Amino acid sequence: MTARTAWVTLGAVAALVVAVALAFSVGRYPVAPGDLAALAWSKLTGAPSGVAPTVEAIVWSVRGPRIGAALAIGAALAAAGAAYQSLFRNPLVSPDILGVSGGAAVGAVLGIFFALPILAIQGLAFAFGLVAVALVYLIATAVRGHDPLLVLVLAGVLVGALLGACVALLKVLADPYNQLPVITFWLLGSLAGAAPVDLASALPAIAVGFFPLWLLRWRVNLLSLGDEEARAMGVETTRVRVAVIASATLMTAAAVSIAGIVGWIGLVIPHFARLAVGPDFGRLLPVSAVLGAAFLLLVDTLARTAARIEVPLGVLTAFVGTPLFLWQLVRSRRSWQ
Amino acid sequence: MTARLEGIALGYGYPDHPVGRDVSLSLSAGEIVCLLGPNGGGKSTLFRTLLGLLPAQGGEVRLDGDPLATLSRAAIAKRVSYVPQAHAGYFPFTMRDVVLMGRTAHLSPFAAPGKRDVDIAEACLAKLGLAPLADQVYTRVSGGERQLALIARALAQQAPLVVMDEPTASLDFGNQARVLDEVRALAASGIGVIMATHDPDQAFLCADRVALLHAGKLVADAPPREAITPATMREVYGIDADVLDVTLATGETRRVCVPRSRA
Amino acid sequence: MNRRRFAAAAATLVAASALPRAASAQAVRGEVVDDAGRKVRVPARAARIFASGPPASILVFAVAPDALIGWTTPFRPAERPYVAPKYADLPALGRLTGRGNTANVEVVIAAKPDVIVDYGAINDTYVSLADRVQQQTGIPYLLLDGAFDRISASLRTIGALAGDEARGEDLATYARATVDDVTQRVARVPAAKRPRLYYARGPRGLDTGLAGSINMEVIDRMGATNVAASMGRGGLVQVSLEQVLAWNPEVIVTTDPTWFASVRRDPLWRPVAAVASGRVHLAPAEPFGWIDFPPSINRLVGLRWLGRILYPDAFPEDLRPAVREFYTRCYHQAPTEAQLATLIATAERTPPA
Repeated sequence: MTARTAWVTLGAVAALVVAVALAFSVGRYPVAPGDLAALAWSKLTGAPSGVAPTVEAIVWSVRGPRIGAALAIGAALAAAGAAYQSLFRNPLVSPDILGVSGGAAVGAVLGIFFALPILAIQGLAFAFGLVAVALVYLIATAVRGHDPLLVLVLAGVLVGALLGACVALLKVLADPYNQLPVITFWLLGSLAGAAPVDLASALPAIAVGFFPLWLLRWRVNLLSLGDEEARAMGVETTRVRVAVIASATLMTAAAVSIAGIVGWIGLVIPHFARLAVGPDFGRLLPVSAVLGAAFLLLVDTLARTAARIEVPLGVLTAFVGTPLFLWQLVRSRRSWQ
Repeated sequence: MTARLEGIALGYGYPDHPVGRDVSLSLSAGEIVCLLGPNGGGKSTLFRTLLGLLPAQGGEVRLDGDPLATLSRAAIAKRVSYVPQAHAGYFPFTMRDVVLMGRTAHLSPFAAPGKRDVDIAEACLAKLGLAPLADQVYTRVSGGERQLALIARALAQQAPLVVMDEPTASLDFGNQARVLDEVRALAASGIGVIMATHDPDQAFLCADRVALLHAGKLVADAPPREAITPATMREVYGIDADVLDVTLATGETRRVCVPRSRA
Repeated sequence: MNRRRFAAAAATLVAASALPRAASAQAVRGEVVDDAGRKVRVPARAARIFASGPPASILVFAVAPDALIGWTTPFRPAERPYVAPKYADLPALGRLTGRGNTANVEVVIAAKPDVIVDYGAINDTYVSLADRVQQQTGIPYLLLDGAFDRISASLRTIGALAGDEARGEDLATYARATVDDVTQRVARVPAAKRPRLYYARGPRGLDTGLAGSINMEVIDRMGATNVAASMGRGGLVQVSLEQVLAWNPEVIVTTDPTWFASVRRDPLWRPVAAVASGRVHLAPAEPFGWIDFPPSINRLVGLRWLGRILYPDAFPEDLRPAVREFYTRCYHQAPTEAQLATLIATAERTPPA
């Protein structure tokens, strides 16, 4: 590990710690800093904190899960984005390219349409997200004789468009007074209702998705050389590709199922991480994950404190992400190679 | 048993677009074979088929006697390495990283390169005079240095056979000479090299055998003196050329092929 | 009237005077001026009325149920038992008003209405929509103001339109009396005794209405303090659980049955005063919502319900007679005892499980 990478990683972790501390200390419900410190101390030592039970519940059961969810989702989306950018040899690719968000949207909107409980809505979103990508992959393998990556992207675009049309249709059929606002809010993305059970259900899927990406980190580098060269150097590209797609999809579907559609993280964060530590996936993956977690946590903290109302997460990531991206694009005269 | 790659009555191309057929070609460790042919003649396609990157459309490819189709990619990579034409690259890997990628064939599926692999990569870089560029970004060095890096990568792969696809294309005069020197050095160290080129002089310079490809068939597979004659050049390239022996200032004689002008 | 409205009215006059024969076969009563200031020619008695949105459907259904051609969306199974089958089976023709048109104009024409009625907010979008449909179809299109204070006037207008002034007058008086009675009782409640209320929507109970949003209209009239009013004016927004805990409302009114069922078991909501004291109330919605949507006369029945929830001392009487009267008058079917019990069940306090 070079000195630069070490510094960057240290910086990212420090940013993460600061973000977590900040997130715990701000919020709509007034929590005194002394109470926060007492609660942290009691968590470490096991002694009773002497803080009012409501405040304790706020910090550990309301803010805590929300912070945990933001970290997990930010890390997942950034990691998935980094993986796809290497896989597709294109720094402008986001985790949605194969249609996972479109599928999850259809699942969630169906759940809302039939007035199902929250867990069912999330479960449907997760399942449909996975099914959408499986469909894209099947279509891509059925079409032979072309560049496999190109076919994947095209199939993703087609299926994504179809799923978008389904969502639009469901919006038309939905009750405009009761269901449509719920659908709209879900599609904009939010962690407002993040509960401990959400974290418990999404975290395992995200962890399971991370693992193969880490194991295959060296092979992913070779994938970015193109199919032929990678195979000539001994990589079973089809298998690695399937593993990467499956892992990234698992993580993204889990993230979208509990937070709705949150864009930009998967596109922008790996880009900055690559500028900082280079394209080697063994470095890119962890740094992207840490930066993504910190970024989403900061944005979510902003979403719940900046305005009087909750600002939808997807809106805020776009508003914050776009200027950042543009600034970086303008500043660097060289290309991202 | 020496390493040997052979195509047996090989048909190559695409299912709806065959390029060549009934080509029998072999490469053994320690020899240099030059595959000569015009642009668009299918040299790259033949190489890809020999490497198993494209399915054979007829006949078969054997590596050390084993049919290629029965071998895993890792097994193939340990015995044959591939040097494609240097390209621009998508991501800013360093030269060291690029050469390190050649070690993948010797790594287990979930492993990343260790210290030993890094040492081998740096040795290969040094062997080709690229050591000062080790930390440079691959996409920003010159075309010649990129091509040499790919050769270093093949070296790091430590395979006894190397397939090179027009390694001197788009290189300047000086870099061409450097690359050809490296090819001869490889063969001298016991590695078998098959090299695609469209320049007969390169064949004269380093080839033990020349395979002449014309219209999808092999019209010659012989030492350069026999394979490259005005008659074969007329057949393959459609031009009149003279084949001459020249003596260099060092006293070394070299055979060259010089096209006549159409005045 | 501004120039645009005048031009629209003039255009309407010209168009109306070119009505096809079928419409002018009936004895024309002459022009009426609708609530948008548009002059529209209507027949003496409209036997077939097309309601262009859910609020209009309910309004027409109350006054002239037999003139109603159809509903916007079909009745759900839970809603059917509360209206007579012949009304529940009327066709679903879609929505013609601004909130997403799903009605096919040809279907509208094929239904042969004598008049189209739209009931709700009046703005330029709806005015232009009205003019367009009227020009396209030749059918008179009336825009009625859905403001709460104009309920009686709107009831009278429909009554006159359908040729049943007596019925319109009867309902208008009933509506006025209900509103007056409730308003007076609320006025007597001192400010200190007016509870702080949180209006919970959505499956997580975290969507709410800001001050001035139409969802909160009835709740605001009942004098409850909307905890979300501190965030300014607007429509529907999303808040966080932390925010609700900080507000600590004394009463929660919700429209989401899923959330209502889960909140009493949810330990995260328990610190909220309303949950701890059992003052979480699910607004009935059969056959139409009682307190918010659609924003039409269906909300009249919610007034007393809210009164009982908010001010039990000012509204001590049993809700059943009032609910029975409302349903009989406006939905034309007296509810059974079992139905009444279901409807008013959630007005009681329900301590957490």
